[in-house]
Amino acid sequence: MVYSIGVQSQNINRYKSVSFGKKEGKEKSVCENHDALMYEEKKKRPISTALKINGDKLVNAFTTYPKKGLKGSKNANFYEYLTMGTVPYLAGSATMIAVFNLASKFFDTPAAKNASKLGKKMGLGVAMYGVAKTVSKKLVETPVNLKYGIDVNLPYKKIIHELPEKGNTDNLVAHEYHKAYESVDFPRWDLFYNNENFGPDRNSYFEKVGKKMGIDVEDLEHADQKVKPLIREKVVKTRLFSTLSSYLWAATGVGIAMQSPWEKLVLNPKTRINNAKLLKEAGLKADNFVVDFGKKFVESCKQFVNNPSKPTKYAGRALLGAAVGMTLLGNFATLFDFNKDKGSKVNASSPLIDESKEKVVC
Amino acid sequence: MANVLNSIIANQPIKPAKKQEQNAAYAFTSEGKIKPMKDKGRLLPSKIFDTPIDIAKDLKGDIVSLGKAAKGKANDHELGRINDLAMKIGSVALASYLFVKNPFKLNKAMEFIGAGTFFAGMSLWPKLTIQAPLKARTGVDVHQKYIDSQGRKKMLFQDPQYVLTDLYSKEDVDKMGKKLGVAEDIPDRDNVIKQRAQKTALQANTLWMMTAGPASPLISAIACNRLEQPVNTLIEQTNLRSSKEKLNSVINPSEKTGVINKVKGFFSDAAQKADNAAFERYLAKNKDKVVDEAMIKELSAKFGAKAGSETLQKGITEKLLSLIPKQILGDEAIKTALTGQVDDAVIAAFTGLKDNKIMQDAIAAGDADKIAQVLTNAYNKSLVDKMDKATRAQTKDKIAKVIKQAQAKSKPNTTLGSIEGSVKALRTSVSGYASNHAKLNKFISARVGDQPNTFIANQWDRVCNSFIKALDLDAKELEALSKGKFDKIASKLDDIAADDAKYDKLITKLMKLIGDYETQTGAKSFSSAVADASGKISAGSKDAMKAGLGEGAEKLMKDITVEVTEHAANRAAGARSSFYRLVQTLDVFRRAVPAKDNVPSQLAQQLEASLRENAPDLADDALKATVDKLVKISKKVMLSAGSTDYVEKLTTQGYGLSTAEYKAVMSALFDVNNSSIKTTLEKSMSAERAGKLVGGLKAYQDDFMEKVANWGNYMTSDLGRRVVTGATSSQNAKERANLVAKPVTSLLEETAKKKFNSNKWFKIFGISLAVLSAVTLAAGLLLGRKGETEKQVEAESKKING
Repeated sequence: MVYSIGVQSQNINRYKSVSFGKKEGKEKSVCENHDALMYEEKKKRPISTALKINGDKLVNAFTTYPKKGLKGSKNANFYEYLTMGTVPYLAGSATMIAVFNLASKFFDTPAAKNASKLGKKMGLGVAMYGVAKTVSKKLVETPVNLKYGIDVNLPYKKIIHELPEKGNTDNLVAHEYHKAYESVDFPRWDLFYNNENFGPDRNSYFEKVGKKMGIDVEDLEHADQKVKPLIREKVVKTRLFSTLSSYLWAATGVGIAMQSPWEKLVLNPKTRINNAKLLKEAGLKADNFVVDFGKKFVESCKQFVNNPSKPTKYAGRALLGAAVGMTLLGNFATLFDFNKDKGSKVNASSPLIDESKEKVVC
Repeated sequence: MANVLNSIIANQPIKPAKKQEQNAAYAFTSEGKIKPMKDKGRLLPSKIFDTPIDIAKDLKGDIVSLGKAAKGKANDHELGRINDLAMKIGSVALASYLFVKNPFKLNKAMEFIGAGTFFAGMSLWPKLTIQAPLKARTGVDVHQKYIDSQGRKKMLFQDPQYVLTDLYSKEDVDKMGKKLGVAEDIPDRDNVIKQRAQKTALQANTLWMMTAGPASPLISAIACNRLEQPVNTLIEQTNLRSSKEKLNSVINPSEKTGVINKVKGFFSDAAQKADNAAFERYLAKNKDKVVDEAMIKELSAKFGAKAGSETLQKGITEKLLSLIPKQILGDEAIKTALTGQVDDAVIAAFTGLKDNKIMQDAIAAGDADKIAQVLTNAYNKSLVDKMDKATRAQTKDKIAKVIKQAQAKSKPNTTLGSIEGSVKALRTSVSGYASNHAKLNKFISARVGDQPNTFIANQWDRVCNSFIKALDLDAKELEALSKGKFDKIASKLDDIAADDAKYDKLITKLMKLIGDYETQTGAKSFSSAVADASGKISAGSKDAMKAGLGEGAEKLMKDITVEVTEHAANRAAGARSSFYRLVQTLDVFRRAVPAKDNVPSQLAQQLEASLRENAPDLADDALKATVDKLVKISKKVMLSAGSTDYVEKLTTQGYGLSTAEYKAVMSALFDVNNSSIKTTLEKSMSAERAGKLVGGLKAYQDDFMEKVANWGNYMTSDLGRRVVTGATSSQNAKERANLVAKPVTSLLEETAKKKFNSNKWFKIFGISLAVLSAVTLAAGLLLGRKGETEKQVEAESKKING
């Protein structure tokens, strides 16, 4: 779709209003109205950038996107559909916690106690499933980024020019947060070309990654041609092993949440304050919640791998072993190149096009 | 441009492609004509469930994708599939862990059922609440799948901006158009229909995303809640059968034939080997460690004795202790050790006893306990004021302790390595007996074990639930009962007792359940089977046990037989009495129903007769009043009297009975001969079976009369009872408590509590799911409506067409 500069300039104002976290008063050039990697932003402010992206996605997943989807808007797209996947994930987790906790307040005390023990574990299980799944992916992804400079999660801001709908012809620019490598079939290579963040040249990014991969990029005129397939290969492997290991870690997380030390963790703030008062009167100091949680976590981890029951002990170790093993296998598969001799990397000195053969130019 | 190309293509005669024409470059020449590749994409038939073939094909695809991804070659579609596969692998891994972690079979099974129903819920929810109704109403199948030209299976409406509506045939489009109500005379109708389908699918997918979150856990939780009972029964029945088979194989060992038995045999042999290897490793690891009490405990637990009995464990521990060589202390050493630790008179007594034969033997054997025993007796004799029993025991222990300490101090420590051979030999000799007894214990525990999923636990639930169901309580009454308010119970029971149909139904149901209970846990089929099996196991292991444990082995085995048999019988008796008490209660309420024509009830008549006999002085008016009072009290006794009330002869706690009244009540209550139970039962079963069932009840009542109700005159000790009543049989408080059983009120309160909690839970989440389903179904009706553009197009075409 081709827009006149005039339309784009108009839209910059809207774009400015929706993008928070930017310094005020900074003028935007027309070029900023195009898709751009958030490389610098992520490098300088990793946490706030992640919060910004996830916050934006979360808010939209619960507000704008369902509204558009339920109306059947012609501007609704696959990104919105995928982003809305957060809704069942969170609502499902909340329901799961509710199923095991909500009814217990109606029960008599011993039954409520038993139900709350299980409920507490189930609630923690849900939380630890999510945390373990997210954090464990980093164990595979970070080493790849450190060694090769390939950040599989590198975000970019995509500018969407929507179709006019129901007389709305003004606010037609929206933004989405994608990842440059979210598609291995169509990575956004274009965003890496001529990107000042990686160097002055058109191919600086590919040269940089190529060098880290041990390719003599100085000899190449078009480093991108050679490095792109290799990056794609790394991205696929990283994605494979981070996915496989993440679910095993998630299962491990739930397993740890199911251990008995958690039963003693007091979650109710009122009870905690009361307990602290009682302990104080007895001349003892109560642990704050974080320390208490940490202690219970360590105890639970110990119980997970050292359960008094032998089969449970070995099952715990096997699950943890599978998760650790899959992560290590991922590290091994992504950080070492097994295909070196099989010609997966194009020989630096061989030209891409065979000069001896007749060529047809279309 | 497209038109030009099309006209060129259309005007060309069709001829078979030559080899040259297959060249890519040739295609672009004017002779080759540019034409699109042949479209291989096609829609797949829609199904609610995937067939096993589909699942197998998908799995094959997933594995291929996995292989490609490991080489770094997979595409987006394949990586997406790997995500789903990984999620399932993770879930199976977690369910497997929890399966192993949970000690009980039901919980183990529920882990997988939970995961399975969760995935099933996830997949069925959109199909049943959104897609199927929408397809029926609009003809748009949101779940439509297609295979693209590369052979990848995808959802047609997944990406709203990339929908291959071209894959629909003209007929499909027309069908959808008709159902969607698209006007027939508008321009570009097919496109309008396709756009409506696209819009409808987008709306449906969004609705799915909004509702799937709460739906899957709710479906899974409710399904698990409903499936728990049938699974429980299945496990119970399997346990009953398999434990019986295992015990039979112990009693009547035979050649393992048949594939399943051979496989089972293989696994049990492998488990035995692994167990032995673990024991060997333990010995090797602790070879140089000193044998102390903690190690003895660990060792005896590794003998397989923990699965046997406490008595066996004790026997093995004692034998292991005897393997540690005792240090022999001489006279002087014992005297020195005692000096300063005990009274000087003890040392004087020891000096006098040195040459005593028994003392000499004890010193020679290094038996500290024996020395202390002899010494204490001698010391006691020398005292003017003799010691009482407790002080004597204390003194003996003190002396023995001092001697043992002295022995320990002077003896070289015994390492496990030095007694390894004896320990191994002991283990070999007792292992057969221990493992066979473990099988017997499984047989007992499957029937009367103190844990979930056992027959006794399930039968208890079945009996209590049948009873509470018959009470026909509404939600409020159930809640009140669950909180210990029993005021409605008596009137509810009166209603049942007065209604022939209700009474017949409940009494028959209860007696049948008791009949089943007796089949599994009755004295003949169960206790004697346990005693018999234990005896046979003992006989089979006699020589080995003797070789390992010495002469005491036979007595030990006898003790164990008594222990397990009593344990089995006691466990079975408690529940049995509670069941009979329910029947008895119902019977008493039935007999208390006033007959017609102002004739007093059967119970009142019995009470009156008994009072006339035991309290002849009562005047007629007083007698009538007393009978009325006693009818009420009889009901109360059946509902809530506990064993303490019987010990106190129902004199306190609101019963306040005199001796005559007590006797009258007891003889009236426990009188099965006057009950109509047998007649009732005969309506639905053979007289023989009915007689058998009532016979069981009568035996219980006779037992009750003898051991509880007719038990002496306010005597609380067994000895007192025997002296006063001249009874020869002894019984203990436990037996009495077993006979009195759980008061009906507390049994009902417990059951009501469980039921109330379960109902409350089901109400909250069942209603949540119902509301969610209703809202989703209702919202589905709003999907797929005409858009503004379509309305305009329709209006314009109407104008044009006049």
